Amino acid sequence: MPAPVPNHPFVTRSSRGRLIEGAVFWLMRLATYFVLVCGLCVLGDIFLKGGRTVFQAEFPYVNVPFLTQAPETLYVFEHEGQKMQLGDRDFRAFREAATAKAKAAGQPAPQFRTESYVYSAGGIWPCIVGTVLLVVGSMSIALILGVASAIYLNEYAKDTPGVRAIRLAILNLAGVPSIVFGLFGFGLFVIFLDWNVSLLAGWFTLAFMVLPVVITASEEALKAVPKGFREGSLALGATKWQTIRKNVLPYALPGILTSSILGIARVAGETAPIMFTAAYVVRDKLPWEVEKVSDFFFQGVMALPYHIYVVSSKIPQNEYTARVQYGTAFVFLFIVAVIALSSILLRNHLRRRYQW
Amino acid sequence: MEPSAPLAIRVPAPRDVGATSTIIEIEDFNFSYGAKQALFDVNLKLDARRVTAFIGPSGCGKTTLLRCLNRMNDLIDGTVINGGRIRIHGVDINGPEVDAIELRKRVGMVFQKSNPFPKSIYENVIYGLRIQGVGSKSRLDEIVEKSLRGAALWDEVKDRLHESGVGLSGGQQQRLCIARAIAVQPEVILMDEPCSALDPIATAKVEELIHDLKKDYTIIIVTHSMQQAARVSDKTAFFYLGRLVEYDDTQTIFMNPANPQTEAYVSGRFG
Amino acid sequence: MSVPPPAKAPAFAIHRRRTRILGLSLDQCIQAFFGGHALTAVIVLTLITVFLFKEGIDFFGQNRENLRIYRQSGMEYVDVLRELERDHTSLTRYLYDIRLRALQHLTGPGGRSLPEANAALADLDALVERFGDAVVPIRGFVSDYGEVAVGIKTRFIENQDFAEAKRQYLAAGMVAEAEAITVAPIDFKAEVAAITGAFPEFEAGGRDLAREVASTVQQLPALPTPELQHRLERFQQLAREYAASIDGRLEQMRTWQWDRPVPATQAFTAFIFGRQWLTASFWQDWYGIVPLFVGSLMVSAIALSLAVPLGIGAAIYVNQFASRREQQLIKPTIEFISAIPSVVLGFFGIAVLGQALRALSQAEWLAWVPGFPFAERLNALTAGCLLALIAVPTIFTLAEDALNNVPRAFREASYALGASRLQTILRIIVPASLSGIISAVLLGLGRVIGETMVVLLCAGNRIAIPDFTQGLTAFVQPVHTMTGIIAQEMGEVVRGSIHYRALFVVGIVLFFVALLINFLAQKIVRRHRISIG
Repeated sequence: MPAPVPNHPFVTRSSRGRLIEGAVFWLMRLATYFVLVCGLCVLGDIFLKGGRTVFQAEFPYVNVPFLTQAPETLYVFEHEGQKMQLGDRDFRAFREAATAKAKAAGQPAPQFRTESYVYSAGGIWPCIVGTVLLVVGSMSIALILGVASAIYLNEYAKDTPGVRAIRLAILNLAGVPSIVFGLFGFGLFVIFLDWNVSLLAGWFTLAFMVLPVVITASEEALKAVPKGFREGSLALGATKWQTIRKNVLPYALPGILTSSILGIARVAGETAPIMFTAAYVVRDKLPWEVEKVSDFFFQGVMALPYHIYVVSSKIPQNEYTARVQYGTAFVFLFIVAVIALSSILLRNHLRRRYQW
Repeated sequence: MEPSAPLAIRVPAPRDVGATSTIIEIEDFNFSYGAKQALFDVNLKLDARRVTAFIGPSGCGKTTLLRCLNRMNDLIDGTVINGGRIRIHGVDINGPEVDAIELRKRVGMVFQKSNPFPKSIYENVIYGLRIQGVGSKSRLDEIVEKSLRGAALWDEVKDRLHESGVGLSGGQQQRLCIARAIAVQPEVILMDEPCSALDPIATAKVEELIHDLKKDYTIIIVTHSMQQAARVSDKTAFFYLGRLVEYDDTQTIFMNPANPQTEAYVSGRFG
Repeated sequence: MSVPPPAKAPAFAIHRRRTRILGLSLDQCIQAFFGGHALTAVIVLTLITVFLFKEGIDFFGQNRENLRIYRQSGMEYVDVLRELERDHTSLTRYLYDIRLRALQHLTGPGGRSLPEANAALADLDALVERFGDAVVPIRGFVSDYGEVAVGIKTRFIENQDFAEAKRQYLAAGMVAEAEAITVAPIDFKAEVAAITGAFPEFEAGGRDLAREVASTVQQLPALPTPELQHRLERFQQLAREYAASIDGRLEQMRTWQWDRPVPATQAFTAFIFGRQWLTASFWQDWYGIVPLFVGSLMVSAIALSLAVPLGIGAAIYVNQFASRREQQLIKPTIEFISAIPSVVLGFFGIAVLGQALRALSQAEWLAWVPGFPFAERLNALTAGCLLALIAVPTIFTLAEDALNNVPRAFREASYALGASRLQTILRIIVPASLSGIISAVLLGLGRVIGETMVVLLCAGNRIAIPDFTQGLTAFVQPVHTMTGIIAQEMGEVVRGSIHYRALFVVGIVLFFVALLINFLAQKIVRRHRISIG
């Protein structure tokens, strides 16, 4: 017996409109999850395959040599029926030992038919170091300049056409492609100031790239502090600086920090600006192993993003090179992810502390 | 108090005001925001340890004048004093040697919207002293208690001095702001519509507080509520379109105004 | 109630002399400190523009010089012949293509063996051979006189180097060394006469070629299918047009003058409208931005056509339909996707996506898709897909913000009138936030067009304008982009050379494109704010 059909004006009717609505709903839902799946595919691929390089089954579970050694050329060859893969130094030692052994036995020195793959052995320690140096230096510059500029623009500057023009310029510069900042850094620091390809040039190039972002975000954070805090403090006889230091900056700090950490993630992730201002394809010594102090600043460094570019474009894709390619991408992605995550956590933590 | 009835405001009988002395003299004062003139030739003498109310419709310049008394208008771009002067204790507060910051320590202010800082109640009260460099813990404790008692807040918050000032109710917040203002021991307290955001009970408490404070402080209050002006003030100044229309004892202003505009306003016919 | 008594100061002490440094109070000093920083920031940001222009602007002078020497050395003259040869070569290629198709038909559906098929095509082969031989004399001219022209240009450049060395010696005060260098001036007129003097030969050769081509295509061999026959007829027509064009070209050579001045605007137009970006060639370098610009646009178009529906769809879904839990899952994940560095995405493209797309394109059930299957692993499609992943978070976040800013009252009013959810979204919410969504798309475009590493690694880096005559197939061809060319070539060029400066000019173009996009986005958003009130 069919259920009785209610007969009143508000009865639910199945109609074409309802059907279309359902279809649209599912289409949008599909689009959303498709994006998520794509993103997770990329992350998953790199974390899975890179994890094989970076982690290992036995103690200490992390591939320490990969993280602490410099890149080397990988030699692949067959020796006494065995397929061997050795890094540059090990290969030399092995060849000498084999030659000596053969000599002792009175046999001719063995010939090795090797295939070599650059950067595919060893680790990525100098790149990690270089990236950290670049990020720390450039963010220090960007933060000092950016926060101070934002304080000036928001707290001191009057709303003149000049200041408005500056704001507009800063806003627009935030959208300028990073490669253009690279060109600018190359033209100004590397050539005009004659710093060559150097850590210093990279610092300033990256700092200026994130400067608009830091200024805009810091200004937003300062704007979010209610005007009453400033007036209340000034009415109690505080000077402007006392007011800013005690009653504005502390409350703007979460916003400033969050934005600046996002800036760090961006600085760490960019390749284009450092390609011709700071990155060396290979540098044998670590940045601090220098004769003069000035060399620390005026020499380029290896950097993770640039290393990824080099190992993915300049050497072939095969089983021998995949190890270092995926491993580098994994470490790099991991670092960027940690930075991004920490900014979110820090923001939540500070939000809870300062509420109004 | 039916709003429709004219002269419905009950004005208290004249109080025993005792001897008065003038503390603030405003002479031919003119003031502009950029090209827009906000005050025209204001002349006013304000008595020490009395409550003076500034009333008038929105945009009449009463808040502007109030903010001129501790030079808060310095902070707004494009403000110009074009004529006249304000003297406090005979000192021209816009004189070249006057430091606005020192002035604000002597002329405190309470704002329309209560603005406790997102710090503890204790820190809120001592903020002004901290800025002046007072570090002695015992002295600070003493002042906190005194100020909170002075602001009739002590009993309500004494057990939670180190909780956030933002957690208080609206009326408590406003009294906290008053406590914060009296902690730096000013002579004059300016109040810019201090009760406009409060409910009737909280308003009554603040008004009671104002009544107590006038023993020791000169209080100038801007208010939109004529009932409030009538209840708390000794003298009332009525402003209209940037000009001082009438200034007299509160009772006179409400019961027997000299100017027809004043009468129209206090009887609720406009504004 | 006890009230603390106010300070009983003897006087109203509001005077105070504050410590002054250089006539500024401490507060003013602090203000000056911050102002100084803001000024530095502004100066730096100005410097960017200044340095881009400083390095780039000389390009136009150098390019003019480049074009001038191209003319004076007679290369331009020889290039008329070269073009004649090149057009002939492309016709020959067309002919070869017909032969290949005919052979495939004969051996395939025709069921003949290879020797049989070849024998059947003997007539066609005769035509191909005769047609190919016709251009041999011209080819000889091009090779011989091209060398002469290159010789003139080389000597001119050497002279410039000598003059520069001499100048430097003189500047350093080394007169003797400077004297030792002699710069023999080049008499372009006489030198070029060596080429133009041979015009009667060229003319005769050209006439012969025209005649030969015309007579070769007079008689067409029969081909097995009407379709091929049709192609051959098309060839006949093209060949006749070609033969007819020869007179015009000869006329162009006759009236050519080595000393006709190169107008300054040509240095500019040659860059903006130049269809060739050709560097470090033995013949003549061309710096035309069109192939790079088209490459950038194509990659961006692919990226946006994927990212716009996905990003906006996701934004509407999350804003209007998703439950709170879903929102809390989706939003941070998409934010996290935006944090993936582009070089990692580029690497993913090389390592995984390129292969995967190629494999997908070779699947039979997708053969109907234009351009499928394709052979190049790295092409505009691969780069575009990855760029879409970069653009989606930008578009999603900004569009979601815009949707969020639609006042709740709008939605409630619509529901209260009995509108369904979809109607409310389509008729109220999306229109109200449309300008925000458009500016989100624009900013997504800005991100995509400025992105470097993905296109450098995955776009295939072939500097050529894709062949749009084949329709959508163009989108699976390898391209090169403006950002990619800077990243690829900047490290290898000689500082101060024309090539170096050309790259800076490409940077300037990018800079202005980015500014324009940003400006439009802001303008649209501003208008939107007013409309909402």
